[in-house]
Amino acid sequence: MNFELSDEQKDIQKAAAEFAQGEFDSDLALELDQAGQFPETIWKKACGLGFIGLHYPEEFGGQGLGLLENVLVIEAFCRVDSGIGSSLSTVDLGSEVILKFGSHEQKKRLLIPLTKGEKRLSIAFAETEDGKDFTSISTFAEMREGEFIIQGKKRFVLNGPLANAFIMLCRELKEGWITLVVEREKDGLEVLPIEKMGLKMIPFADLNLNGVRVSQTNRVGSDGDGMMHVNYCHQALGVRSAAQALGVAQGAYDRAIQYAKQREQFGKKLSQFQVIQHKLADMAANIEVCRLLTYKCATEYDQGRSDLRSLSIAQLEVGRRLIGVVDEALQIFGGYGYIAEQTIEHYFRDAWAIAVELGTEEDLKDSIADRVLGSEAIRK
Amino acid sequence: MFFELDEERRNFQKRVRAIYEKEVSPLVDEYERKETFPIQLYPVLGAKRLLCFRCPKEYDGPELDKISECISNEEIHRICAGIGVSFMVHGGLATDPILRFGSEELKQRYLKPAARGEKIGAFALTEPNAGSDATGIRTAAVKQGEGYRINGSKTFITNGGICDFVTVAAYTDPTKRGIGINLFVVNKEDPGFSVMKKLRKLGQHSADTAELAFDDCYVPQERMLGGKEGGGLEQLEETLKSGRITYGARSTGMAQATFEAILAYVQKSQRRGEPVKRSQAIRFVLAEMAMSIEAMRYMTYRGAWLFDQGIASMKDASIVKLFTTESIQRIVQKAFTIQKNLGLMMENPAQRFLRDARGLKIPEGTSEIHHMVIARDLGL
Repeated sequence: MNFELSDEQKDIQKAAAEFAQGEFDSDLALELDQAGQFPETIWKKACGLGFIGLHYPEEFGGQGLGLLENVLVIEAFCRVDSGIGSSLSTVDLGSEVILKFGSHEQKKRLLIPLTKGEKRLSIAFAETEDGKDFTSISTFAEMREGEFIIQGKKRFVLNGPLANAFIMLCRELKEGWITLVVEREKDGLEVLPIEKMGLKMIPFADLNLNGVRVSQTNRVGSDGDGMMHVNYCHQALGVRSAAQALGVAQGAYDRAIQYAKQREQFGKKLSQFQVIQHKLADMAANIEVCRLLTYKCATEYDQGRSDLRSLSIAQLEVGRRLIGVVDEALQIFGGYGYIAEQTIEHYFRDAWAIAVELGTEEDLKDSIADRVLGSEAIRK
Repeated sequence: MFFELDEERRNFQKRVRAIYEKEVSPLVDEYERKETFPIQLYPVLGAKRLLCFRCPKEYDGPELDKISECISNEEIHRICAGIGVSFMVHGGLATDPILRFGSEELKQRYLKPAARGEKIGAFALTEPNAGSDATGIRTAAVKQGEGYRINGSKTFITNGGICDFVTVAAYTDPTKRGIGINLFVVNKEDPGFSVMKKLRKLGQHSADTAELAFDDCYVPQERMLGGKEGGGLEQLEETLKSGRITYGARSTGMAQATFEAILAYVQKSQRRGEPVKRSQAIRFVLAEMAMSIEAMRYMTYRGAWLFDQGIASMKDASIVKLFTTESIQRIVQKAFTIQKNLGLMMENPAQRFLRDARGLKIPEGTSEIHHMVIARDLGL
């Protein structure tokens, strides 16, 4: 057991915090949130400094670090701004599939541009509101004259309108589940943006695929691997969402502490009221739990021993604590917390968007129960 | 003990529901999106005598009781909380003090047009530095000739930007903390009155909320309520009680709308090849929602009944407000998350319910203030 970050990890944490404090202007954050615009300039700068994809091997543009280091950067970014931080944290969704299962050529072609700020990648797995429901997937890829022809639709693709390519789950008649890299500019691919309540800088999109042609070189892995890719990807994304949650909770708490020390009512600072002190104490305790669980899962991932039980527990606990912390922070701000000029207002909306990403209480408990009871006890 | 609405009130409920569904429902999406209030509703509802419910017939009001006011508030908040809050403030905080303490001339001049929907009222107590602690306001009314000069600023004022008159609290004697306050009626045309800015909010987008400035704003003596200096906060006591009970109706209506929507979703949706309603966890959540709404509604109507009997205490009112505004939070949160990504979509009212309901725990006494009131009443 070692609960201390290494010096290198602390340096990364510090560098990410300094970058975010220097670049994530709070007025700009409000503006981008309201307009639903991606922070293009900040993203390019973050890439220039090596923050995006630092967990990729050096030959593919990264620094050969792990998911834990990625988590430290995401946490530091989301702490300074939930919207900008989350935007920079989700420009390479699905990169883990390429890293783990892609060919050398695919890694070079797809990962390097992500680290340079030239391309954005997203995942297109689900076809309903439930990101993990694959029972009704109707997107088919048919091999014809050496190419895959894709027909179907995908729903709620995060970052959909901004991504240059999608890691897409399809069904192939003979081979079963396969994953294909589908580039944005393909004929027959229609991207329909969806406006959402939180994380407005990175909207959803529905994708319609009507005879989209994809070359065989864009096929990741081999026959029938698709579902394994999806599951592997969700492990990394679960940890990354937890890191967003951790940063957002920490950022809301920072602001609440600062406000409580400065705001006076009844001739006292808010921080002098026991009820407010206890709210802040509760928040600190919740954040501590979030941090330990998130770092633990990142470490397990890096050591190649990810475990769905551990991850589901982390997602469940981090999700509800995130909401608890941000909600209390808003309450401490009182009327100001409800006003859009105050950062905490979009922290609230963004926190709920991240909570949805982490998964519902019911699904996560199903997943934990599956593992603690064993499927035999569950399905008799 | 009699737990049924009588026939007259049941008919009233049917009537207001039909009117709100016809007149208000079609405007919700447009005005929520525009973040403006549909002022055209004032004359429409005024003509039907659905504003200022407790205003006597001699001032063109319907002269109904608190229970009827709650019925109406429940119904309009079932349609839209942003639109509902405007009428709640207009018929409550803005005009109630005039009804109770205004001279005959003021009643003729303000209540009549308010009840007919020809003039819109607002109420201004909260200031940038005085929220929970109303005695900490700094707005001053200095005697000058036959009137007072008012200086100060007010914030989070519902109807602030659309009002024709505003009932304002100001110190006539700042040396008497809490006691030296008076209420004045200011017209929007009065020189020195201005709307500083419109405030954008997390929720209740269709409600107009503004920051107001009073800059040497001259108000003649006869527009001071009560006719003698001091005692303004005491004058507000019954009005605040009444408002807090109305919060029970607001919360119940919003919870009801949320519940109807999630019940319909759960009834019709399939997930992973199974009807959602087969999930025991989700069935329990819906059962709990039904239970909470029942408790919220009965608590509200009991509070209204006590008020009508003239025996509602501040504690009774606080209990209604605290219980109902807290209970609704879990309802909107669960209704939102159960729908996963669908819940996040701007076109889905689930996210509006979540944002709107969050606003209930702050105005007219935060949850913390109501805990304080109740504890004080317990003799602690």
